[in-house]
Amino acid sequence: MAAINPPLVRLGRVGKRFGTGAPVLEDISLAVDRGEFISLIGPSGCGKSTLLRLIAGLTPVTAGEIVVDGMTPQNAREEIFFVFQDANLLPWRRVAANVELPMMLRGDHTLKRQERVRAMLELVGLSGAADKFPWQLSGGMKMRVSIARALSVAPHILLLDEPFGALDEMTRDQLNEDLLGIRARDPFTAFFVTHSVAEAVFLSTRIVVLSANPGRVHRVIDVPFPYPRPPELRETPAFLQLLAETSHELRAVRH
Amino acid sequence: MKRHLPWILPVVTGALLVTVWYALKRAFHIESFVLPAPDEILTAAWRERHALISAVWLTAQGALLGFLAAVGIGFGLSMFLAFSIRIKQSFYPYILILQMTPVIILAPIFVLWLGQGLPSIVAITFMICFFPVVANTTMGFISVERNLQELFVMCNATRGQEIRYLRVPGAMPYFLTGVKIAGTLAPIGAITGDFLAGSAQNGVGGIGFMTVTYFSQLKTPALFATGMTACLLGFLFVFGVNLLHWLVLHQWHDSMVRKE
Repeated sequence: MAAINPPLVRLGRVGKRFGTGAPVLEDISLAVDRGEFISLIGPSGCGKSTLLRLIAGLTPVTAGEIVVDGMTPQNAREEIFFVFQDANLLPWRRVAANVELPMMLRGDHTLKRQERVRAMLELVGLSGAADKFPWQLSGGMKMRVSIARALSVAPHILLLDEPFGALDEMTRDQLNEDLLGIRARDPFTAFFVTHSVAEAVFLSTRIVVLSANPGRVHRVIDVPFPYPRPPELRETPAFLQLLAETSHELRAVRH
Repeated sequence: MKRHLPWILPVVTGALLVTVWYALKRAFHIESFVLPAPDEILTAAWRERHALISAVWLTAQGALLGFLAAVGIGFGLSMFLAFSIRIKQSFYPYILILQMTPVIILAPIFVLWLGQGLPSIVAITFMICFFPVVANTTMGFISVERNLQELFVMCNATRGQEIRYLRVPGAMPYFLTGVKIAGTLAPIGAITGDFLAGSAQNGVGGIGFMTVTYFSQLKTPALFATGMTACLLGFLFVFGVNLLHWLVLHQWHDSMVRKE
């Protein structure tokens, strides 16, 4: 089967440098199948956010190639959505209008938009906040709105750039569980940049550990746990074992 | 008691100042054509009410038209300047030159082109008001957060959509700051314009023209009353632009929310 279906996203010896500076990323090769959840983890400055921006087509590669569903990242934009580090909401639009924005820019019909906004807000548990302005929300709620906005256009690929980095641990755990719950109903392939090993192990099918200066793939760790993953998974020996292994790999590249 | 302090304090201060005013006038035997007493000013304002109302109406017209032209043209020009850095580099120095040329020199040129009266006054008001609008709004258009811009890229937004849904609303706080400054300058601009290029219809001109008239006749109380009227016009403009500012921003902008 795997031989017949080409990977959804393929990175072939990807390199990136800005201007004439030293390379940020070098020789990154990775094939990702439909439905995978890939975490990118590594020391700060290893270029993991840059890698995400390359896949999004927000900045061009300077070596190698990225193929998304048979297209260049720029051409595949309709299939991709990006969840930014801070929630990145438009402060002058209410929650519902923020969620509606990508569909409106795409030219979807108003009725379809309203229906979809309602469904998305319900999905992220924010039905009551549709008429609020972003400043009235907590950090976790803003992030939920951002995720609802991303999912509103039903992207095949979701790129998440440290979405929960600024949140406290309890909120983060909750949002991790919710994200998997949403993915069970609305399947998407994910690339997820994070600093948190626990988060990476809990969410991913595979964890890509990057080394820094320049960013290279140090190791790819398979996460064998089946979905759905209950919150209690975090306390099982197998989970803790993998957590330790991943932390070990991360220490190895930090030197 | 504490609740009423915000209005009691300025009233008490005002009463004190008026007392000092009377005291000085009496102590130093100051003539009324040098320093009129407050009651003389009020009497003069009442006696000259018809002239003053016509004057303020005329000046308000000049101020409003010049202000609206400055806001409208300033907004359009800012959008043009923000369109590309090359356009801004090409035109900005000349806008600065225009701003740096003193109005007192521009006024006779306008009179040569447009004649004495309202058109020249509007032009002078425009010249005074328009730079703050352009400078602020251009700044607003070009200082859009990069993350938000990339959000629009990810949405495959067209250039027009980006301007309409991101740049224009994002520039509003800057634009309105420019409008506020323009609003405080507009009455001053119109009075200056009237002073330099005004004309009288049936013996009544704008506030600037009346100032010249009362001064030449040494009607000092009326001169003070004219100042009072100009002050009222200024407050009216400031109130107007503050209201606009509040209407547009009060629901979402940092400067208006999170006070509690």
